[in-house]
Parts: sequence; C-alpha cells; structure tokens
Amino acid sequence: MRLETRKLLDKSFSGMGLIAIAIMAAALVLILSPIIWRGSKAFVFKGTIEHRRVMLEQYQRGNSERFTAEMAKATEARAPVYEMMAAFNAELKEMDRAKRRDYKDPYREVEKAVSVLLGPKPGDRTPVLLRQQYGQTRWDRALVKLHEALYSADWDYSNTDAMGVLVETPRANAFKGTKLEPLFDYLENHLDEMLRPKTTFYWQFITDTSKDSHFFGGIWPEVLGTLYLTLGAMIFAVPMGVIAAIYLCEYAREGRVVSFLRICISTLAGVPSIVFGLFGLAFFLNTIHVSDSKSVLAGSLTLSLLILPTIIRSSEEAILAVPRAYKEAALGLGAGRWHTILTVILPAALPGILTGVVISMGRAAGETAPIIFTAAVSVGAPLKLWETLSQPTPALPWNIYNLCTEHEAVDEIRHVQYGMVFTLVAIVLLLNLFAILMRARISKKLRG
Amino acid sequence: MSEEITMKKIDQFANHAVRPTASETHIEAKNFSLFYGDFEAVRKVSLEIPKRMVTAMIGPSGCGKSTLLRSINRMNDLIPSTHASGEMIFDGHNIYDRNIDVVTLRARVGMVFQKPNVFPKTIFDNVAYGPRLQGVKNKQELSDLVETSLRQAAIWNEVKDRLNENALGMSGGQQQRLCIARALAIKPEILLMDEPTSALDPKATAKIEDLIGELRENYTIVIVTHNMQQAARVSDLTAFMYEGVLVEFGKTKRLFTNPENQQTENYITGRFG
Amino acid sequence: MRANANTSLIMSTAASRRLYFGALLGKSLLFLITSLSTLAVFFIFYFILKDAIPFFKLEGFKEFFTSTRWYPSGHPAEFGALPIFAGTGLVTLGAVVVAVPLGIAAAVCLSDLLPFNVRQIVKPVIEILAAIPSVAYGFFALVVFAPLLQNHGGAILAAGAWLVLGPILVLMVVVLGDLLLDKLRAIKLSPRTLGMVVFPILGTLAFTFLYRLSAHLGGIEISSGTNALNVAVILGIMALPTVVSVSEDALQAAGRELREGSYALGATRAETIIKTIIPASISGILTAVILGVMRAIGETMVVWMASGNAASMPTPWYNVLQPVRTLTATIAGDMGEADHVTGSARFHVLFAMAFCLLAFSFTMNLVSELIVKRSRKKLGK
Repeated sequence: MRLETRKLLDKSFSGMGLIAIAIMAAALVLILSPIIWRGSKAFVFKGTIEHRRVMLEQYQRGNSERFTAEMAKATEARAPVYEMMAAFNAELKEMDRAKRRDYKDPYREVEKAVSVLLGPKPGDRTPVLLRQQYGQTRWDRALVKLHEALYSADWDYSNTDAMGVLVETPRANAFKGTKLEPLFDYLENHLDEMLRPKTTFYWQFITDTSKDSHFFGGIWPEVLGTLYLTLGAMIFAVPMGVIAAIYLCEYAREGRVVSFLRICISTLAGVPSIVFGLFGLAFFLNTIHVSDSKSVLAGSLTLSLLILPTIIRSSEEAILAVPRAYKEAALGLGAGRWHTILTVILPAALPGILTGVVISMGRAAGETAPIIFTAAVSVGAPLKLWETLSQPTPALPWNIYNLCTEHEAVDEIRHVQYGMVFTLVAIVLLLNLFAILMRARISKKLRG
Repeated sequence: MSEEITMKKIDQFANHAVRPTASETHIEAKNFSLFYGDFEAVRKVSLEIPKRMVTAMIGPSGCGKSTLLRSINRMNDLIPSTHASGEMIFDGHNIYDRNIDVVTLRARVGMVFQKPNVFPKTIFDNVAYGPRLQGVKNKQELSDLVETSLRQAAIWNEVKDRLNENALGMSGGQQQRLCIARALAIKPEILLMDEPTSALDPKATAKIEDLIGELRENYTIVIVTHNMQQAARVSDLTAFMYEGVLVEFGKTKRLFTNPENQQTENYITGRFG
Repeated sequence: MRANANTSLIMSTAASRRLYFGALLGKSLLFLITSLSTLAVFFIFYFILKDAIPFFKLEGFKEFFTSTRWYPSGHPAEFGALPIFAGTGLVTLGAVVVAVPLGIAAAVCLSDLLPFNVRQIVKPVIEILAAIPSVAYGFFALVVFAPLLQNHGGAILAAGAWLVLGPILVLMVVVLGDLLLDKLRAIKLSPRTLGMVVFPILGTLAFTFLYRLSAHLGGIEISSGTNALNVAVILGIMALPTVVSVSEDALQAAGRELREGSYALGATRAETIIKTIIPASISGILTAVILGVMRAIGETMVVWMASGNAASMPTPWYNVLQPVRTLTATIAGDMGEADHVTGSARFHVLFAMAFCLLAFSFTMNLVSELIVKRSRKKLGK
C-alpha cells in the first residue's frame, strides 16, 4: 500500500474513534436534555389560579385574602361562559325534540370540556374525584385542554387501505347560529383572564405528598421511600462489604479458598437484577419471613446483596492502595494487627472506600427490578421510620415505571413523571459527582 | 561482580570477629539464618551488637543486610513463607521463640524505614501514636512525651507551631526526622534504621547524620546503608555482608582503613557493588 | 511513666493462649462474614432452582424450550418460551451490534488518541452514562424515543444509515481505489489521470448504493415505536460504558514497550493499534464484550417498558421493527399476576426463566474468567 494511503487510513481511523466518542457524548446529551428540560418544568412552570387554589385548599399554603381577590377577578372573567351556556340551555328548551337530540351529545361534550378546563360550574354538586374538583392547574395543560374544547377529534376510516386518519373539526360548526357559538371564541381569547397563569416556582414538588394519585401535589412518599431503601441497603452492605474486603486484603492467604471466594463475588456481580428481585421474594419474604408482606426491610436486604460486590471491590482497591509503609510503620511501633487496621489502614483507605460506597448508593437508589417484588407499591403514604420494618413503600424508580405505563391518565401527568425522573437522575448524578470529586482529591493527594 | 568467588570461599572469608569491642552486648545473633521460602537470605550469621553504639551494615544490594536488620524486630513476619533458624538473642531470650510477645518486642526495638512513612495524620498524632498504643491517655503526659521526642529528633523548633497540621505537608527530611521522633516516643532501647537517608537530599541527610551522632548517647543504633561514606561518618562498628554471609565485622575505622578480608577491600575500594 | 525495659518479652502461657485464640476467633469471625456475603450466590442459585424445578416437573422441558405458544393464562395454559428466548437474543444481539464497535472505537480513542486533559473530560461522560438509572433509560425509550420512531421512523433509519455507512463507504472507496491504482500500474498512464477516473467511478457507485438504501429505509413505516430496535439502541448505549472502560483498561495494559516497538518499525498509529495492540489485548476486549452482553441481557426496566412485550417470534428472525418480549420483562411483568397463586406453573415458570438467566450469566462469568486466566498464563505473569 502506498504511504499516502496508509497515512490517510491512519487519519480516518482517528476520525472513527472521535466519531465514537462524539456519538457517546451526543447520546448522553440527547437522553439527559429532555429529562432535565421537561423535568425542571415540574418545579418551574406557569401555574394557573387553579394551582393556587389547590395549594390553598389542599396544602394550606398561600395568602387566602389575596387569592380571594384574584379569584373574584377570574370568576368575573368566567361569568360570560356560564351565561352563554345558560342562554343556550334556555334556547335548547324551545327547540323541537329532534333538533334537541342532535345537540344533546355535542353540548354534553362542551360542558365536560369547560369543566375540565375551569373546574366544576359554580353551584353544581362537588364531584367525588379530587381531579374533577379543580380546573387545569398548569398553563401548558390548559392550552391542550382548550384545543380539545375547541375541536372535536374523530377517526376517519373511509380509506380502508390505510390506517385511520385523525380529523379535527371546530366544535363551533356544530353550534352555528345558536347562542353557544360565541363561547368558543370567548374561551380562546379570554383563557388567560379566566385562569390567570403566573410563573410559579413549586419546589415543594419534592416535599409534598400527592393527592388523587399524582394529579396534584408532589412526590415526597417516593423520595422518602427511595431514601429509606438506599440507606437501608447501605446499613447492611457497607459493614459486610468492608469487612470482607479487610479479610481478603489483610488476612486471607492467596489460595484455593480465596480464589473461590473471588469467583463467588464476580458471579454475584453478574447476577441480573431481576433475579435478585426473585431471590428476595423467594428467600426474604417466602422463606425467612422478614415481614408479612413486601417491606422496606426486605427491599433493603435485596438491594444490599446487589451492591455488595461493588462495595467489596472498591474497598479492596482502596485498602490495597494504602502504602505498605504505613502498615510497617504501625507494626514497627508495636501496634497489633487489628490496631494497625483500625488506626492506620482504614483511615487511609477511607476516602477510597467512601467513593465506592457513594457510587453504590447511586446504584441502589436507581435500581427498580429488585424492589418490584420485595418493597415497592404504587400508592402509599410516607412511612414512619419504624414502619419500614413491615410496610412497603412507593419509591422513585418503581413509580416512574408505574406512572408512565400503568397510570389511568398517563398523558395528563407527564410533568410528574418527568419531575420524578429528573429528581432520581439528579440524586444519582449528584452522588456520582461527589464521588468523582472525592476521587480527584485522593489522586491529587497521592501524587502530591 | 567477581564471579570467581564461590560460596565456599565466602564462607572461608567469614572468619570474622563476632565481638569486636569490649562493651556490653545488646543483641546477639547465633548462627542466625533467615529463609524466604527455600532461599536463604541470611546465612548463619553470628554477631554481637554492643550497647549504646552505632553499628552500620554495608554491602551490595541483595546481600541480606536489610533482611538481617528486619529480623531484629521480626518485621519479616509480614512476608509470607519466611522462617528463621539459629538464635537472635535480646534481653536474654531468643526472640524467635514461640512464647515471645512480638508486639512488646517491636515496642522495645524501634524502627525507621527507607522512605519516610508518616501517617496521614497530624504531626502530634503521628508522634503520639506509639504512646497511645501503650495506653498513655493523660493529655499532659502525651504532649510532654511528644515534645521530648520531637526535641530529641531535633525537629521541635521547626514544627512546634504546627503540631496540628497534617504531617504529609512537611518536607522529606522533616518527615524522616518525624519518623525518628515517632520511633523515639515509644522509648525503645534499640533503634533500627533501614537506609534512612536514601530518599533524602544531601542537606537533610546531614541533619539526620548529626541526629544519629546525638542519639548514640542513649540508644543502641543499627543502621543499614548503601553509602559507605555515611557508614564511615556515623558508625562505631561496621559489618560487611555479601550474599547473605557476614564477611567482616569490626571497628569502623579499622575496617575502612585496613580490612582483613580481600572481599571487604574489593567492596570498599569500589571494585564491585 | 512506663519504662519499656521492664516489660518482659516473654508472655505467660495464658496470655499467649488468650492472644492466639483471640486472633483465631477474630479471624474466623471475619472469614464467616466474608463467606456469608460471598456465599449469597449459592443461596440465590438454590432458591431460584428450588422454585424452578416444580415447573419442569409439571410441564417438562420440551414445550418450554421449543414451542412458540406462550399462553400462560389460557385453558389449558401453554408455556412455549421460545419466542421469549428469541426476543431476548434479538435484543441482546442488537445491543451488541450497537455497543461493541462504538465501545471499542471509543476505548481506542481514549487510550491512544486523546491527550490526557481531554480524556479527563470524556471519562466523566462515561461514568454518567453508567450511572443513569435503568428506569430513566426506560422512561426515555418509552416517552421520548418510541414516539419519535413511530412518527419519523423512516427518516431516523435513513439518517442512521448515512451516519453509520457514510464514513465506512468513504473509507472503502479510498482503500479500493488505492488498491486498484496499484494493480493498474501496468497501464501507461500517470497515476493522477488514472485516479481522476477510478475515484469518481467508485464514489458514484458507493453514493448510489447509499442513496438507494436510505430511500428504501426512508419509506419504511414503523407501526409501533416500542419494538426491538428501540430497546436494542438504548441497551447498546447502556452497555457502552462497560465495554469502553473494560476494553480501555485492556488496551492500556498492553504497555508502552509494545507500542514503541511497533512505531520504531515505521508503523502508523492505526497500524500499531490494529496489528499490535488489539491482538495483544484481545482477551481483555473479549471480557469487555462479555460483560456488555451480560449487562444487556440482565436489564429489566428498559425492555419491560419499551420492547412492546409481544410474545411472538420475530419474522424474519432479524426483524427488529417488531415488538418483542424478553425473559427479564416476562419475569417482572407476569409476577404481578402470578404472585398470589404460589405453587402454580405460572409462578414457577418465572423462576425457570430466572434460572436460565442465572445459568447464562454464570457461564459467561466463568468464560471471561477463563479467558483472563489463560491470557495471563500466555503472558507469563
């Protein structure tokens, strides 16, 4: 091959490597940016007056006088809507039966759309479901609901060869010439007066409990559940893992037993997480009955098995990185073996051990599969500390799954789902950032 | 290397004086050997190290001088598959007997290592480490002890204002003197030094050497060194080892000016090593 | 103050015995805890197997491994898990196709091409990719990626083809052209003129091929965004950090001497890496691939959320645009329905699947361990 070609190939080879790195970085950005961007909207968004009403009535938060004054203005803006509807109702009574029947269904849809948008009509009976007692709390959702109020959507299957096509027709068409016709224009043009959107910073999203299965409020039970599970896993895994690492580094003589133990550890590290979940169910719950039903305790135990290999390995690495000289110095001063380990080796290895611990905390916080059968439930109140021994808990990873697949109104609560993912990712990444910084400090110390 | 020297010849050379001075013996090796697995790193060494003197051990690398030094406080126990034969007598006991308390032994025989190995703790805690092990809890007593040790190690003036700083922030020479202070704080009778200046610059080396000169008044010092000038400068007695065998042992002045053994002469005149 | 000289070197027999037994006790305690945590593996095997065996007793092996009919709630129930195995295989294969070339290229780049300070920036990217919880990947796959695939599937496929095949084809044109020029040296024409003829022809051919392909792909409509392709891409990204970091370690371990030796013989960087470094570190790279496969095959949340969960055979076998179902997703999804009927075949079949996963990952682990051991022997370390 000619030299020029070889050089060209060399360059393109480098190019391929760079492309690979670029794709990797792009994947990270692509995955994180919607999560961060839309997740942050669970915290900062344009909240309508209905949001403030929920806050005041359900969470006793906000200034009630100022709210009453604002609500009065909104009510004033909404009055024409109800007047138009009342006028149409009166008109409807005058009509003959056939015509009335034609209007019946479309009008019911309009009534429903309006109550979804603005909340129940004043004077109506309070609906049972909390979600029906309020209008749209978020401006972005309100715009979607406005669109649904203005247009009726139908599937057109006339072309049998292709898939159905969605056709939208303005509802105003159906009510041409009636007293309801101006309603649609009014809704479109005066929505912000009726709902009064205002940029809202809702940091309590993390610390509020949810109302009516996440239609309102925050994610505190999930956050707390995740904290319990993570810390619980740490309580079991850290002592076991560190002790195992001490044994393997300081006591064990390399031989059959140790290499066997090492194979066990690497096998444990390779067990799929869902299998841990099944094991937790079969062993902790069905065999030794740590609790009667799923519980935080059972989940923590299962998670601790999952992160044990990581903790053992990173602790081993940290202990082996402690210079031999420290050990010799301590022994030379007449310290016993245990004493040397406790006063010299462990303190010197501590930052390294902590790094591993923090990383596995992130892992434990984000794992879903092991807690499905052992600890997680979809809905629940925040647990008291002692209840963790016997009660299951909602947890961020599980509820993310649950809300975006099994919830009855998946599309309505996208912002809650994104907010949860954002919170979980933030927790995990902060832990990892902490670990990265700590490791940088260690390597600086070792170099310096 | 002079390969013409066979092991037989070395053994023949090794008709050294076991006891070159009249002063009281502090440690005595009798036919002492130390094995790493099958390899005999120290071969049937017999010598008596006198009290309150500086004994230097010299020889080419791998000659077993460090191993012999580390045998005196049984630091070699840390290396798997080592065993000893013969006797190493200290305080009337063979320290390789089964009923010997190694922890006490090491507390009575202090050691300073090749590289300064201060703990990543404060200067105070480094020096107080040994005394605390022995149960000194009284704060006043501890700080007195720390001060005395640091003064003995001639480093008090440099560190007295920063006793609570991390010891890793000190210079290499200071760290090594801190290690000496740390060893002194447990009030040993014997101080073993394993090439204590090999990682230091000439200035710091000079300070350590001065310090050794002062410490010989109160301690028995055994020092392993690569540097023959250093041995000549600091020691009263010198032992020359080669391939695990103690070839010659005598007063330093005599050994360097008028070696009895051809092998010793070759080494100190720089023909090998 | 304590005087050292007074402390006797000799321990009383009682004290020595106390010390000995104390040390023994401590050591045994440590050993006990260590083995407890490591022997958990055996507990896992035992308890999974214990609940898996009843299934095989009830239903036998044949149907499970060979039938394509998966109707666990039918009357009578049918437990043909072949489509599920096939789905697992397809998804894993897809993930490998994504992760291995990308991962090895990135590892090479990290270990040999990038300067130190750039590497310090790229490494956290890998760590973050590894740290993101699987449920977040699953959420992305289901909520962001699946609708994209469903609505703009053709365009995405076409763009992917350009992105992947474009550089490769350019490279092929250059190499082929060069080889042709070498062969055509007999013709008495200046290489310049020849090049003017050869390269455009090859280039046009390659371009036409790519254009045709992307036009074909662009016409494809994906009926469901939750399918094997979606999951394979996401799983590939998830396995990427493992592949990159393990194979980078292997490449680094090949050592500077080897590199210098090759450079000194006049090899370019690419030749050094491809002909010397990669062969020398092939065992580590294989281990990286195995670990990547294990990561992909053991992943639950992404496949459960975004694979479509249809227990039907992909037709043809490589059809990644079809919804599939995997072992992990089946375990996660069906346990909810089988939970309270402990003892039924429906409950035990999930343990049988878990056992298959466990056995597979155990085998893979052993294989990678063997590879490492063997290469160590070869290198004489």
